[in-house]
Amino acid sequence: MHELLLFASVPVHQHHELLQQLTGLTAMQPRHLVERRLIFKAYRKPGLVTSRVGGSQDLQQSGDLQRVNKMLNGGMFYTQVVGPVSESDFSTSGPADPDTQMEGMDESKPTAQGTSTYDYEQQPWKLEFRDIPEAGTRSAVTSRVMASASLPCGDIIPSMNAWGYSFVTEYVVEGDVFIQNDIVIYLHRVLHYPSGEQEHREPRRHLPVLKEMTPLEKSGSYVLQASINVLDGSNQETMKTASQRLFGLREQLKSAVRLEQADRLSLDTRAK
Amino acid sequence: MADSFTLPLRPVVEQQNRPDTLPVEIAQINSQWGSFRDVNEEVLRAKIAEEEARDGALSEDGEGESSDVDTTERLEQLYKRRADITQFAMQSHMETTFALDFVSLLLSKHAPRQAETSMSAYLKQIAPVGSLHSEVVNPPPKPESASKDVSTVSRGWRTQNFNSAANKLLTASTRLEGEITSETRYWNEVLAIKENGWKVCRLPRERQALGVQYGFLEATPVFRDRGLASLRRAENGSLILDKGLIPSGSRFVRVHVKQGSNVFTSSNPTESTSPDVETIEQRILQARDSVFEEELFHELVREARSMASSGVTTRENLIRIPASDEMEIQLELVDSNDDSLQSDQNSPQRDSLLADGLAHSIRLLLAFAHRQNMHRRTQMPPPLTSKKRHTPEYHLLRPALAYLQHLSSVKWLESYFSDIFGVLRSSGLEPAEYISDTFSTWKQISLSPVAPRVEALVEKFLRPIQSVFRGQLLTPNGSFAVTIQTNLSGPPFGTFFDVSFDLPTVSDLKSPGRLGMRDEVESAITHLLLLDVVSNIASKELPAKKAESPEPTGSRKCKWDAVYPHLGELLLSSENPEKHKKMKVSLTRSGLGLSSYVVRSIDGVGRGAQERPSLHSQPSTWKSPSISASTPDNGSSMMNFIVAQASHDE
Repeated sequence: MHELLLFASVPVHQHHELLQQLTGLTAMQPRHLVERRLIFKAYRKPGLVTSRVGGSQDLQQSGDLQRVNKMLNGGMFYTQVVGPVSESDFSTSGPADPDTQMEGMDESKPTAQGTSTYDYEQQPWKLEFRDIPEAGTRSAVTSRVMASASLPCGDIIPSMNAWGYSFVTEYVVEGDVFIQNDIVIYLHRVLHYPSGEQEHREPRRHLPVLKEMTPLEKSGSYVLQASINVLDGSNQETMKTASQRLFGLREQLKSAVRLEQADRLSLDTRAK
Repeated sequence: MADSFTLPLRPVVEQQNRPDTLPVEIAQINSQWGSFRDVNEEVLRAKIAEEEARDGALSEDGEGESSDVDTTERLEQLYKRRADITQFAMQSHMETTFALDFVSLLLSKHAPRQAETSMSAYLKQIAPVGSLHSEVVNPPPKPESASKDVSTVSRGWRTQNFNSAANKLLTASTRLEGEITSETRYWNEVLAIKENGWKVCRLPRERQALGVQYGFLEATPVFRDRGLASLRRAENGSLILDKGLIPSGSRFVRVHVKQGSNVFTSSNPTESTSPDVETIEQRILQARDSVFEEELFHELVREARSMASSGVTTRENLIRIPASDEMEIQLELVDSNDDSLQSDQNSPQRDSLLADGLAHSIRLLLAFAHRQNMHRRTQMPPPLTSKKRHTPEYHLLRPALAYLQHLSSVKWLESYFSDIFGVLRSSGLEPAEYISDTFSTWKQISLSPVAPRVEALVEKFLRPIQSVFRGQLLTPNGSFAVTIQTNLSGPPFGTFFDVSFDLPTVSDLKSPGRLGMRDEVESAITHLLLLDVVSNIASKELPAKKAESPEPTGSRKCKWDAVYPHLGELLLSSENPEKHKKMKVSLTRSGLGLSSYVVRSIDGVGRGAQERPSLHSQPSTWKSPSISASTPDNGSSMMNFIVAQASHDE
């Protein structure tokens, strides 16, 4: 499967206005989305893994997974495991000072993590693999090979380790999704966990207070990502249709934001 | 408007005092007509006659032309005139050419290259370039009077021009003022529309014009795009709703329900207003209703085509659906100001309840389908492929038809149960009441947390409809249940009856399960009730016979023994092998019959030639109360008959 993308940077003061504009354009209410994203890194040589594929065979989506598995073992890649969470999953207590969101003050220590209803064992996960964007394409969109597969709920580390992936870090992405004409428009930003915590060697089992999460971009600006998926990347016709649609959207949003191709190397997912 | 304008635009007309007017005029007359001394009556008469003659000739000339000229002459005249025109044109062309040549020749002295381009070839041949020269000469001084004339004339011209300019300005101001009023009115009306909640936007194709969006965003693209009309301004500033090429009349879907010879018609859902009091808002509403109705019919036709296997036929503006036994539904797209509608309206409103209900339900379901489209649209899209996605037909007719079919089945089953239970009751048995739980699936309250309440409510109608009939049998612990299920939204299509029994006395009885035909259901339940009656008789203890028992075994209980329960046959064995007694029970929807026989065989089980009707008894029947209303009842209950038969001795 191929993914065609366009990006734009949205300063925080424009965020609200752009949300309204997108709501009008797509004729739908924004769907708020908060996702945990775990980054895994491949650590084995590809040849070593093939003998131990059996670990995944008892899983339900074995066909799907095996295909992904094969793709993943072709080279060494970072890959993402994405789990949707809701805002109620985050802890509710803690200093309820809204100002701490932007400043990311260190003294706001997370306290009383047990107040949320978050159940790590029931957390659904999805493996998302993204290749480095294709080089030398003349079209003005970023296009890359992608694959997604559902993973079992709960603790994902053993399965990932079995495939030769080790946990690197995790972060949270929050944003709003719009859908228009098969294009997924995701206005989002990356949030880091409160910096006061000690370094985790595995995914957190409890989520901190959402307001204490600090944006990766200190100014709090958002990224607008317009993506469209194409099932068969070798079919020039559909690829062209897809990029035409993206260009149509770019044209429509021209007066608000400038959607453009991303720098290829900044989206490099290869593990070195 | 001009008088309220205070700026003095017109030039001030000077009242010139001209003391010498009369002498001047006299001098003019003198020079024109000669001295006053020569004027006498004759001269004046001759003058008048001459003028009259000239006028008359002119007028006659004008009349004569139109009458006398026939076609050929006209044609000739036409050619002549054309030739004249051509000639004039050529002459003027020639003159212009000469003038051009002249100027070119004159200029060729100073700018030979430039002038040469506009010189004619002939001129170039005969006159060398730059052979003409011009010089400014001082004109001789004009006389005083001439310069005075010129100044007077120019003054007059200027006054005239000022006047016309002032006129133009004043008319322009009037026009602008009118424009301002109509613009104000236009924008006020646009604002009023906006404040009423309509979406006003710029037209995508015509950036200068305003449009109002009244359509449904989730409709099929054809109809979605029709939901936008431009708001144009009339001369006086009032709004005009310009829908482009779409006909302006409003239409709606009318439902006819034909039951036998009666036809019931649904009423117009949108009250049509008289066209003279229409406001723009009403017009928008009408346009919205019209586009909704047309989409509704479009979707109905689409769905009806997919239902062709159930006998649904479609015409251009008509859909016919055979709903159930003797009911036919017709859906029609009609103009709302149709005359035939008015006459139909006279039929009593009460009877058209079903038609109205149907009309409302298909509209509700279309609105629901719109919401579903909205949900589908806002889901994560599947990856693009070269294949086109098919939009499924909406469920508009199918739920309504399922309801009608189901209702008909439920009514049939109810009437059947009331018949057969009536038969049982008339025979003195006391069957327990059966419980009917109709449309049970609709009564369940299932609130999904995601979907809004309204959608959850409508969504129930799309699911299979289910009704359950439950009852106890005469036999203790015996029960039956009939479930009717109708599903037109997905396979298995149609109505099914799920019949299940629990009759402990008959061990080898199996529930028939899912049945499709009403006949099968009827026979299955009748058979079950027959078994029930038979086992009920068999369980009944009979009073001991006194005469038959010389031995002290008189206390022996004797019973009817169900030998062939499935055939309704029972046996009362006796010591005398010649005198076995047999009773046959028959149960139908219309009646219950009992007849007894004497059987001559050793075990009493044999059938056929050895049977003969019992002497003392007539076969006894009980009919359902509705049938036997006129015939006198035999007064006795079934149990009495059994006991009587058993105690009778041959």
